[in-house]
Amino acid sequence: MNGTVVKNQLIFDFASGILGPAKSLFASTYLQLNSNASKISNTFENMLGENLMDNENIHPKNLKYTDCINNENIQSASNPKDPVTSFFGNLNNLDWKQVYKGFKEYTASIDDKDELKLIKMDPGVSVPLHSHGGKEYILVLEGSFCDEYGEYSKGDIQINDQKIKHTPIASKDTGCVCLSITEKDVIFFGKYGSFLNLFTFIKSFFKQK
Amino acid sequence: MEKSNLNNLMNRVQKDRDEIAFSEIFDFFAPKINAYFIQNRIKIESSEELTQEVLSTVWVKSNLYDSTKSALSTWIFTIARNKKIDFFRKNSKINFQEEDIREFLYQDREVDPIEENEAKKQIERINNELDEQQKIMIKMNFFENKSHKKIADELEIPLGTVKSKIRHILTKMQGFLR
Repeated sequence: MNGTVVKNQLIFDFASGILGPAKSLFASTYLQLNSNASKISNTFENMLGENLMDNENIHPKNLKYTDCINNENIQSASNPKDPVTSFFGNLNNLDWKQVYKGFKEYTASIDDKDELKLIKMDPGVSVPLHSHGGKEYILVLEGSFCDEYGEYSKGDIQINDQKIKHTPIASKDTGCVCLSITEKDVIFFGKYGSFLNLFTFIKSFFKQK
Repeated sequence: MEKSNLNNLMNRVQKDRDEIAFSEIFDFFAPKINAYFIQNRIKIESSEELTQEVLSTVWVKSNLYDSTKSALSTWIFTIARNKKIDFFRKNSKINFQEEDIREFLYQDREVDPIEENEAKKQIERINNELDEQQKIMIKMNFFENKSHKKIADELEIPLGTVKSKIRHILTKMQGFLR
């Protein structure tokens, strides 16, 4: 899988405005933390702007320019700079669930097919070798982690699919806080693998209504 | 219309609140914005309402536009896109849920885009490196948000070809989107 293509796809889909709420929050945080990604998004918006410039004309039948000048419904809204804080509030005050020692997560209540989670790993903590049923997107918000494929620090994203098995380890100095999107549940391997799979399996029952 | 001309008009709107200048911007963009909404499968009654909202925003929030940082068409595109998202979000379910984050992610705001010269160069490179069919596919996929299936039907090529071509375009674009 070409990770860069998937990252660009995420950015383009965000710029086009077709992402669901979970991925929208994820992508906008990514653009905010990663200046390269933000540049790509701007370039892409320029391209779409060109499309608008050259677009065909379908003339509105009942609209005059004065309707726009005299429209009082438009208010200036202030925009939060930091999407994660605006949505989750102070991360220290969240009701984190401990999955195992040194690994906590918080699942956002968001109405979407994708699951949006915050993950907090204490310094040096590792996740057992696992792969993914669907795609998983991870964005580092604070600290860093590394796995078989490289090191990931603030503003970096990693996108994993079912072909990838990895063992992420949080930085020994800082630990890490990440935002993650899961399209489907994760499959674990190794020592605690079967237990964790069972846990995920049981959890999935409670999600269904 | 020339871009420099549009910038002059916008400048007059910003500085002098010039209604005549605004009416020219309106004449140029209103049919294109209206078409954008219709291409995105929004019915004509709503498309005109949304077009009005977009151009009202251009008038009311003209101070948010910075001509040294992006083309006017880019700024107006982002406003139209945000209105589209908001429209679909509100119409997606009967019990509209407040927790939908997109409401505040996609608001009209000052962004920090790249310098216009750089943007121009990138657009030129993209225009040089993509052929006509690829450009049409980008427009259909990302501007009109058509499904791959729909694109395949309209261009009369197999679905698999559409998927691999769009993938190819994305791979190609990553080379010069840096």
